[in-house]
Amino acid sequence: MVKIISAITVHLLALILLLYWFGKPAQTAQEDFGFEPILTKFTGELEANVTLRVLENDTAIKQGFFEELLQAFNEEYAEYGIVAVDANMDQYLDLENDGPYGFGPDVLYQANDQIMKYTDGQHIQPLPIRELNCYPYLDENAWQAYTGTDGQIYGIPVNIQAPVLYYRKDLLPANWETEWDKNNNGIPDMIENWTDMYAYSMQIREESLGSRYGYMKSLWDVYFASGYLFSYGGYVFGDNGNDAQDIGFAAGESYKGLHVLRQLASIMNEDCIDDTITKIQYAKLASGEFFASMTTPDVYTLYINELVLSYQAEGLSAGEAMEAAYENLITAPVPYLPASGDLTDQNSETIPTIMMGGVNGYAISAYTKAPNAALAFADFATSYEMIKRRHELLGIVPARMDNASDAGGLTDIVNANLSEGNIYIMPSIRAVAQIWTPVGTLFADVVKDPFRSLAEQKFISDEQLIEGLLRASTQVYDAIWTLQ
Amino acid sequence: MLEAIKKGGIQVALSALFMGLGQLCQRQVGKGLTYLFLHISALWFFLRYGAVMLRGFITLGERRANPTLNIEGDNSVVMLIMGLFAIIVLIGYLLLYAANIKDAYNTQTLIAAGKKPLRFSAELKSLADKNFYRSALFLPILGVCVFSVIPIVFMILVAFTDFGGNTVPPELVSWTGMDSFFRILTLQQFAPTFFMILNWNVIWAVCATALNYFGGLGLALLLNKKCVKGKLIWRAFPILAFAIPGFINLLAFKFMFSYGGPLNQMIINAGYSPIGFLDLDAKWMARIIGLLINAWLAIPSSMLLAAGILSNMSKDFSEAAKIDGASAFQIFRAITLPFVLFATVPVLISQFIMNFNNFGIFFFLRGGLYIDGYFLASDTDLLINWLYNLTIDNNYYSIGAAVSVVIFIITSIISLTVYVLSPSYRQEDQFK
Amino acid sequence: MRKTKNLFDIAWTYFLLCLAGFIFAFPCLWLIMASFSAGGSIYSFDGFFPSQLGFNSFALLFNDTVMYNYPKWFANTLFIASFSMIIGTILVILTAYVMSRYRFKSRKAIMKTTLVLGMFPSFMSMIAVYILMTQFNLINNHWGLILIYSAGAPMGYLVQKGFFDTIPISVDEAARIDGATSLMIFLKISLPLSLPMIVYTALTSFTWAWSDFILPKLLLKQRDSYTVAVGLMSLGETEFARFAAGSVFIAVPIVLLYFCLIRLLVEGVSAGAVKG
Repeated sequence: MVKIISAITVHLLALILLLYWFGKPAQTAQEDFGFEPILTKFTGELEANVTLRVLENDTAIKQGFFEELLQAFNEEYAEYGIVAVDANMDQYLDLENDGPYGFGPDVLYQANDQIMKYTDGQHIQPLPIRELNCYPYLDENAWQAYTGTDGQIYGIPVNIQAPVLYYRKDLLPANWETEWDKNNNGIPDMIENWTDMYAYSMQIREESLGSRYGYMKSLWDVYFASGYLFSYGGYVFGDNGNDAQDIGFAAGESYKGLHVLRQLASIMNEDCIDDTITKIQYAKLASGEFFASMTTPDVYTLYINELVLSYQAEGLSAGEAMEAAYENLITAPVPYLPASGDLTDQNSETIPTIMMGGVNGYAISAYTKAPNAALAFADFATSYEMIKRRHELLGIVPARMDNASDAGGLTDIVNANLSEGNIYIMPSIRAVAQIWTPVGTLFADVVKDPFRSLAEQKFISDEQLIEGLLRASTQVYDAIWTLQ
Repeated sequence: MLEAIKKGGIQVALSALFMGLGQLCQRQVGKGLTYLFLHISALWFFLRYGAVMLRGFITLGERRANPTLNIEGDNSVVMLIMGLFAIIVLIGYLLLYAANIKDAYNTQTLIAAGKKPLRFSAELKSLADKNFYRSALFLPILGVCVFSVIPIVFMILVAFTDFGGNTVPPELVSWTGMDSFFRILTLQQFAPTFFMILNWNVIWAVCATALNYFGGLGLALLLNKKCVKGKLIWRAFPILAFAIPGFINLLAFKFMFSYGGPLNQMIINAGYSPIGFLDLDAKWMARIIGLLINAWLAIPSSMLLAAGILSNMSKDFSEAAKIDGASAFQIFRAITLPFVLFATVPVLISQFIMNFNNFGIFFFLRGGLYIDGYFLASDTDLLINWLYNLTIDNNYYSIGAAVSVVIFIITSIISLTVYVLSPSYRQEDQFK
Repeated sequence: MRKTKNLFDIAWTYFLLCLAGFIFAFPCLWLIMASFSAGGSIYSFDGFFPSQLGFNSFALLFNDTVMYNYPKWFANTLFIASFSMIIGTILVILTAYVMSRYRFKSRKAIMKTTLVLGMFPSFMSMIAVYILMTQFNLINNHWGLILIYSAGAPMGYLVQKGFFDTIPISVDEAARIDGATSLMIFLKISLPLSLPMIVYTALTSFTWAWSDFILPKLLLKQRDSYTVAVGLMSLGETEFARFAAGSVFIAVPIVLLYFCLIRLLVEGVSAGAVKG
């Protein structure tokens, strides 16, 4: 008995000692690092014979731009043996979970909030932007979207995503120049002011007995609808979007914006409560059932495709249909709002609409084996020629000012809006992820109101609107903080 | 085991010191070498990987990584999981060690009694016969351990850490004991939502299970009738629903019930105003639609199951009963139902659990809503949807894990009790 | 009198069948019609059905493969589902058979444990599964999925165990007297008797792997390695007809499998079996 017990004890003790001894970490020294060496990965020496995996967005791939870009880059850098390929992944990337295990791309094209949420975990690389050819051509505001709390810059702005109005010129009233242009500036009033858009939409709906509509948009969509709150003093987070303790959806007179949303719903139908309109807007604008809608500039080609189909169905030839589509589909800046927050108030002063927007751009994964080659790719892709091609093929609004001024038109306007502060750049901190559901629910609730019976309506008075905003803000706060 | 320790001889002691030595001394070369080999490979594993893994499990990382500076560090989550893996290997090793001692002792007693111990080859052969269950269960249990047990234990352990929020790799996670549980208890908004959702969750699970079960059984019985011609075709209709992946069907249904969907299209054409079947006011309507859609998705497979079981039922009883003049309903109640129930009570329980944890239905049909009065949840959300909101949407892994541990305890107590009391568990051999 | 009652019974049966058929077929029919819609969007619909019919979306599905390589996805899914079905079915049947026929020490403990394990919210453990797979280097690898599906399958052995419980044990005993080993009894007697259950198991495990979305989404990062379910979800929101076409076509193998196996499943071998 003693023999066996001692044998077992020896066995187990030996095991424990072995585990303890071999479990010691090889080294425990913690290197300290200052501010300086943060850019040292970029030595300027290109890594030879590497394959860069580049993640682009789906539209760029579908429209053939990405292939062109890859081809041009690979030709240019063939001598270094650098090959860029499609990362062949979903455009909704999760670098936090892919990168550390080696499955992420080397270069990624994403929206600023998507890129900046990786800065906390150091999943993306701060960039030596002054070495880039695009550096002098980019506006301070565009760089701002990619500046981290540490002052480093993490992305290279490519294009500005801000909502613009899309409408059909051929669906304007024939007499708009006399009846719908009070200030005689050659721009139809309904494109300039939400009050007139409201009146015209009402008119279309009544004349067609509800089979055609004026302005249509899914109104619960936070990305597009929160702009109305911002226009009247609301904001997402305080301290330039960096302080998630300060939630500002109810700040200022933002309830007026909510009231505008409620009024807009009343010129639409129930489809604005869920995302039905988001899906149908292309087809319905093309078929003429909608007169106008609002979305980002990069879906221009989707509208054109649908319009061409629709004109062809009306009997035009392919060439004529194409021509008519480009002729009649107009993009315009978002109309002005009445300062009083009442769309039936024709005499109110007008204020610019501030819309939520973002800046899409390139960033480099911290897990790339070839940071210098990746930087070379990002530099190449943001060169004048490549941005120009991107603009031509995709209809984006370039952030580069030289491209923007050459492109003119809408691009100029969006860029001007950005520098005037009429585009509210989405905050870049992680907590942004928690705003969508609470605020979206509030918007859905408010825009359903006009379709409820009078007794059931919840948002008639200003107090009720304010209360709703406060409730949503509390929910956002809860989502971010109560369990932190 | 105790007996082996008390009465074992020198060979047993040798085996206790180093696996297989005793067996070798007892001239069981094949077995001895096998144990020896296993011992050495286990040691190799522990020295090479296991020791580091186990240490990582305790510390959860000591060096923070910084990828932008190429500083490699510890990934706490990986360490937690791989530590678990090493613990499972360690447990396996200790079990093997115990088996090795017992085996040496068995051989010793056999020799002492003057019998000849079994040859190694004969013992291997018994794996196909007397010990068939061991060889048959080896792979399934291994698979379940790695891919079900480790992940579940991992999540349970996460409840005792601060993983989540901003504390995700490369930040280092640390053990925090019962903190998450205390936090749930002290949070005022938490309990009301928990009980509201639990209440609905139980109603849902009971209704859904009953609906699916009796729907499937009814359909199978209907198709089992002698008078039905062309069973193959009739049966194919539900299969069609079964053949299209569930989430696609759910998306299609969501669209059908949306404001722009075909149902509202017809309502509008008929001159009425559209109905928000699933919108934010549609509490009970959305719940009932959810139940029906769930039945639509689940009845085909429960019909197949019932058909399979009915095919195995002896017709003698029911035919005898028919001759005695029993009505169809009486036959169903007295013969068919007990038979089917007997074979399916465990299934019923597992279906109840599946429905209790049915994530997809309301995630696809009515996701992305926080209703007033609920804490980060909507009035159709089940506990699992709420958990999803907490863990995935809002990143509170440790809180989510703590909630799921609580739910897990509640559901397991209920279903274990039902299971242990059920006739299929207590009288397993009744129909044999 | 009896005859009219019979007639009524038959009419009633057929009425119920028609109703069930309608309920089950209608949404599918809608999806099928949508897949033959000429316009790409869901809203080129006239009430319930598309206003114009055409084969566009199927042509797109198989020809336009630059971004959405449907044929490749289909092959991937077929590969994963087939192997998961084979390995999974073997493991489930083995487990269920052993749990039904053998009495050993840890049996009840195992039964209770598996029951309880199934109760843990499954998505919670996805984080762990993902990290395990990165450690085993099985991301972007179809065998990783097959491994998980097969390993998870035995957890659902209860259905099959219930079935084995209803097969009388007298058959086994007779064979044992004739000197057959357990393995032989299992292979030569029990397996043939449980053909309907095997078919049911195979069908369900095939369908599970075939239509699962969450796991492949988690483990397959490369567009080329997607399964159909993940691929379809990545389609743009304006491509509804293509989505519908992809969804309809994905159902084909299961319907085929069903028609091949249904006889085995339902009629089974019950006619010839010894009944207790």
